[in-house]
Amino acid sequence: MKMTKTICIIDDDAITIFGIKKLLNAVISFNEIKTFINGKLAIEEFQKLLLEGKAIPEIIFLDLNMPIMDGWEFLEEFIKLDIKETIIINIVTSSINKEDRERSEFYKCRTHHFITYNTKPLSKEEIQKITNAAKQQN
Amino acid sequence: MEHQVKYTTNYLIKQLPKATVYINLNYEIIHISDSWIANFGVSSNYKFDTLIQKRFPNLTHKWKKEINNAFLGIKNSASIDEYFNKKKSPSWLEWIIIPWFDEKENIVGAIIQLEDVSEKICNKKKLEKLEILSNVKSEISKVGSWEYNALTDKLIWSEMTKKIHQVPSNYIPNIQNAIDFYKPGENQQRISEYVKKGITKGEHWNDKFQVITAKGKEIWVVATGKPLFDNHQYIGMIGSFQDITEDVKSQQKTKENELLLRTLIDNLPLNVFIKDLDSRKILVNKSECEYLGLSNDELIGKNDFDLFERHSAKISREEDLKVIESLQPVIGKETVCVKKDGTKTSFLTSKIPLLNEFQEVVGIVGFSLNINSIKQKEEELKKLINISSIQNKKLLNFAHIVSHNLRSHTANFSMLLGFLIKEKDDVERENLLKMLITSSDNLLETIDNLNEVVEINTNQNLIKKSIHVNSKINSIQKSLKSLIKNKDATILNFIPDDFFVKGIPSYVDNILLNIISNAVKFAKPNKNHVVEISSEKDKNYSIIIVKDNGIGIDLEKNKNKIFGMYKTFHQRDDSRGVGLYISKNQIDTMKGKFIIKSKVDFGTTFKIYFNEND
Repeated sequence: MKMTKTICIIDDDAITIFGIKKLLNAVISFNEIKTFINGKLAIEEFQKLLLEGKAIPEIIFLDLNMPIMDGWEFLEEFIKLDIKETIIINIVTSSINKEDRERSEFYKCRTHHFITYNTKPLSKEEIQKITNAAKQQN
Repeated sequence: MEHQVKYTTNYLIKQLPKATVYINLNYEIIHISDSWIANFGVSSNYKFDTLIQKRFPNLTHKWKKEINNAFLGIKNSASIDEYFNKKKSPSWLEWIIIPWFDEKENIVGAIIQLEDVSEKICNKKKLEKLEILSNVKSEISKVGSWEYNALTDKLIWSEMTKKIHQVPSNYIPNIQNAIDFYKPGENQQRISEYVKKGITKGEHWNDKFQVITAKGKEIWVVATGKPLFDNHQYIGMIGSFQDITEDVKSQQKTKENELLLRTLIDNLPLNVFIKDLDSRKILVNKSECEYLGLSNDELIGKNDFDLFERHSAKISREEDLKVIESLQPVIGKETVCVKKDGTKTSFLTSKIPLLNEFQEVVGIVGFSLNINSIKQKEEELKKLINISSIQNKKLLNFAHIVSHNLRSHTANFSMLLGFLIKEKDDVERENLLKMLITSSDNLLETIDNLNEVVEINTNQNLIKKSIHVNSKINSIQKSLKSLIKNKDATILNFIPDDFFVKGIPSYVDNILLNIISNAVKFAKPNKNHVVEISSEKDKNYSIIIVKDNGIGIDLEKNKNKIFGMYKTFHQRDDSRGVGLYISKNQIDTMKGKFIIKSKVDFGTTFKIYFNEND
């Protein structure tokens, strides 16, 4: 079993971050989990990583409703980054709004990254599916 | 041989009014009247034959013959012939040459009398001409004439009069049968009355009658009559008789057409008008009269500047000119006319160039459909659509907030409870329970906030009061004391002490608190932070302006998020993202507005508009 290197969680809600971490710990092993409380901080970190020639996290959990830079704005910036690898971006939102789901479809068409749309609360099964997908990607 | 004219011998002859000459058998002039000398001249050096030779060369031959006849005792009859008078213009001369007898009935010479009858001839010719002319005229204009001689009781009809009556040329009319031709009843009565008045009072008549011809055709005539008097003595009547049936018929037709057209345009649910090249009205229909509140006669001749407010008139005139110059009609253009009293009316107006028979433009024909009520309904509809779209947006926004915010907490509950069930470790269980309590607190707060928003939107009937702004600002400053101190901010209040706004007190409190505290909160670190509060008034609003030199917001990026619920722009512990959302709902309810100007790093200016009218 190939180990996933780095996972990233972008969410302003501490409880959600706690939950995702807990679920991840239960299903896979990984090197590192990076957390950011808004999109801006995450993008800035990724830009830095790219400059330093370091790898971008393979799996990203992305909240939509955040201050300063929300999930959509993050996506917009993220797909502009020069990343060769296919990153698995999992939108995790409390929104069950149809529009949001449709909007995520729109981003799927615009990038080589793998985007999934999930609503809170995430279940163990979903986390399993996401990590399995990550394994296949690699 | 010299001969003396003996005009002194007979003074009588000298005084004869007619030009007269007595000559003896030797053609010597014995007596001559002054009138001859005056009119035809004479020279004593000539004998009469020489004289006539010189004076009347073309008549010499005739005269000599007649003089010789006279010498033989033959009385010539009077003759007329043309001659050239002293001025060499053709004249007419009447002469008579008779024998001159002495007391013993011996022929001693001849008497010659002359008269210039040019004028008579001329008059006669004129008369002839006139007669011909009148006949021609009568033929063309179908005017006949009649003449009644009261002395002989004879009525004479001209050929045309007979023709009009459709009687043969040999028909002999009289007063009675002439009157009988008039249509029985009113027409006959009227003509009889005229004739009577003519005879007794000498009055003229000129009137229209209906006449039934000999062939039973009903016609219209104009009959005139004029009694003739000689020395105050009534001697008869003359008059004219004209067939005007065609005229009457065409007039009637025209009248009917006019009436039809008038009825048509008057009953069109449109304002119809015709204007001349100077935009003066030359025809208006009833709708146009009613719209302008003036009668037809009052409107005719008036231009747009007489009827409409200057600006409105100018637009209309320019439009007219464009149609007149380009000959291109304007069809169904939406226009607004403003009358002098300021009433505005919306029209759908068409203007069409009016051409005469030579295809020259002589004016414009206009049609205006009053679409005021349609316009009004359209406006109302727009307003309604606007309101419902705003409401819809609000509702959607709110639904979104509810679903999102409530769901995020319940999602956390669900997740945490899922963990809790399976968790065996007591420390971890404790940790999970703490998180559950935090989630529960957050949920409660969210529900409170949502409830507040619902209340603002449902309590639309709260009463507005006049609020003294400075007292409010003072108490806000007090309550923000620690924050102000913390941020090392200076608040400068430039609002005059007599400044009031109209609003719902609790909303105004909350709005001012939110905006002032925001202005204080978002100070730039290590900088003198100044918040200026000032006021303005405009036509409809009292405006409070809160200006800071803090960190500012990128409005371009955040324009959709400023008033969203739980949208914060700055990652700070004290940004809850709910204050502006509630303030926005409150100012909307009071029919006011916010206008924000901001530049990142330079600060924010927040203008609060309080509606003073509604």
